[in-house]
Amino acid sequence: MSRQRLGTAPATRAAQYVAVVCYLIFLGFPLLWLISTSLKSPQEFASIDPSFLPKHPDFSNFTDALEEQGLVRSMLNSLQVSVASTVLVLIVSLPVAYALARFRSRLRPITNGWILVSQVFPVILIVIPLFMILRPLHLTNTIPGVVIVYTVWSMPFALWMLQGYVAAVPRELEEAASVDGASRVRTIVSIVMPLLRPGLIATAMFTFISAWNEFFFALVLLQDPQLKTLPLVLARFVGAEGQVQFGPLAAASVLATVPSLVFFAFLQRRLTSGLLSGAVKG
Amino acid sequence: MKKVLISLLAASALVTLAACGDDKGSGSGSGDSNEKVTLKFQSLAFQKTTVAATKKIVADWNAANPNTQVEYVQGSWDSVHDQLVTQFQGGTAPDVIQDESADITGFANQGYLADLSPYLSQETKDAVSKGVWDTVSSDGKVFAAPTLLQSYVVFGNTKLLKQAGISTTGDSLSWDDLQANAKKLTAGGKYGLGWGLKSPTATVLNLGMNFDGTFFEGTGRDAKAKIGDPELEVPKRIHAMAYTDKSIDPTSLTQSGSDVLPGFFGGKYAMIVGGNYAAQQIVEQGPKGFEWEVLPPLKGTSEKQAANPQTLSVPAEGKHVKQAAQFIDYFMKADNLAAVGQGDWLIPTTQAARDAIAKATGGKNGWTQTLASGAELTKAPFQSVENYPKWKDQIATPALQEFLANKIDLATLGKKLSDGWGQVNG
Repeated sequence: MSRQRLGTAPATRAAQYVAVVCYLIFLGFPLLWLISTSLKSPQEFASIDPSFLPKHPDFSNFTDALEEQGLVRSMLNSLQVSVASTVLVLIVSLPVAYALARFRSRLRPITNGWILVSQVFPVILIVIPLFMILRPLHLTNTIPGVVIVYTVWSMPFALWMLQGYVAAVPRELEEAASVDGASRVRTIVSIVMPLLRPGLIATAMFTFISAWNEFFFALVLLQDPQLKTLPLVLARFVGAEGQVQFGPLAAASVLATVPSLVFFAFLQRRLTSGLLSGAVKG
Repeated sequence: MKKVLISLLAASALVTLAACGDDKGSGSGSGDSNEKVTLKFQSLAFQKTTVAATKKIVADWNAANPNTQVEYVQGSWDSVHDQLVTQFQGGTAPDVIQDESADITGFANQGYLADLSPYLSQETKDAVSKGVWDTVSSDGKVFAAPTLLQSYVVFGNTKLLKQAGISTTGDSLSWDDLQANAKKLTAGGKYGLGWGLKSPTATVLNLGMNFDGTFFEGTGRDAKAKIGDPELEVPKRIHAMAYTDKSIDPTSLTQSGSDVLPGFFGGKYAMIVGGNYAAQQIVEQGPKGFEWEVLPPLKGTSEKQAANPQTLSVPAEGKHVKQAAQFIDYFMKADNLAAVGQGDWLIPTTQAARDAIAKATGGKNGWTQTLASGAELTKAPFQSVENYPKWKDQIATPALQEFLANKIDLATLGKKLSDGWGQVNG
């Protein structure tokens, strides 16, 4: 049964393209609908027979979103906390993940168990103790406070992810470096780190998006209007009793996706796989 | 390795102990009136007009009170409860809090809210009806000032009502008339009524007061469920209209209040029932030339509905309770309440503010009927029941949804509502 034959069969190839196109439409449609809604008037999106494309596109929803709620400032705040917590998570979790993956000790299963357990705590359960800890340290209502919380919150999963990537790096490469006289630090920096790049980027993406979208911690910790992050500002478009300002909300959501799209576009090019293929010959 | 571990454990224990230290001692009760203070006012104003009106109130106050400056902090209705839970426990709640009375009753019972009665002026106390004050009072203490109310009203498509020869004048609209009108308006794939009842409990309990439905006897944790004919009258009538008369579109029952608006605009529903604030969405989103009106208040044995006002309150541990209460008293002035009420399309709690809106609007866009529907709003028994929110979410809402989806009968609904109280309050 040749893989080649399956791959080149016109019917199979056509089916694959159809599947891919369907999948892309499935993934992209909500975003297109969001963009379309952001350009519609209130009358258009309350129509019983909604059209996909706006009949009279205008940008007033964007100006409303930008003027009323301090959207730009909140985006900068979100960018600040997301980038800072991503960098911190990577700096702290990389050596820990390396140690957990490479060194056998009694702490390892306990640590891994704790990492798993920490993922099951509901946010509401930990937010009050966390708040009580941060308050005497004067870290509530501050960006550094939120960054610390996001770092701690993302760390377990980041560790879990990175451990797997470290474990996938063949020990033989490190042994070879050692034989060539490289110290452990040199081995990690020159051999392991480059090979871990896809893992680091995947972890960075996960951490960034977690911080970018996080709502509840920010809601509780940040009171100063100047410090509010993007999800808090987006929530203001939803009122009591299910009232929603659909137009400005859609416009604000479109704008909110831009920085994360840029971030992903920037990182995705570096997210290459297969670096380890053939690194060690068996 | 052991030494490192022990050091780490000791350090974390010290940090934890330090963190558990309480620095609440800085509160100074009601504060000194000559002291220069800044109050944080977390407003949940949502509409552009109301945000502007609220900011103007704050600016006017700040201009007149240089020693007590108010800082406007924009909050949101979304998750305000969870936010306040944490802030009360952490002692960092804003000096002036906006929330609805049903939500803050629990906070008041736990002692998180200050008694405002010594600070509110007699003018403010006299301006609000006793039934509304009852929604924010317990044990002789007033834990919030009620500002705006909403009622459930019937919106009608004027053109379709006229075509069917339906008159919408009068002081009230009986449920029998509503049903008859809806039936008359149902034809050709169009329904007389669309009713967004995705979250039906609040609507059923509030309108249940039309038939003297109380749902509970007693207060706090000692309250007992009381589910009889008066309590089941509203769901029974809605069910009958949806499945016997077929004058309510059954699919609308699964939608939210705003989901049914496109159907209303498109003529699919001649009438809809919803919170009076929906008038604003109708004005903003309705197609050009769309004629609509608010029908007279619904009446069973009475026009009563439950009042769940928006409120302003002050944390008990706030450092400047007196000044915060004075600001709230200022907020309650007729012109101020009228401005925020008109902006949100909600009913002010004081007659003077209602008169101001009636004068400013000329009663147009349904304001005459909307303001009239606020006259009979009063405290409902469920508002004094501690585990009501739990019962609402875990028992009443799913049971009512099943009933309105025609999956269970009325007797089963009554049993579920009654037995469910024992489960959540046990």
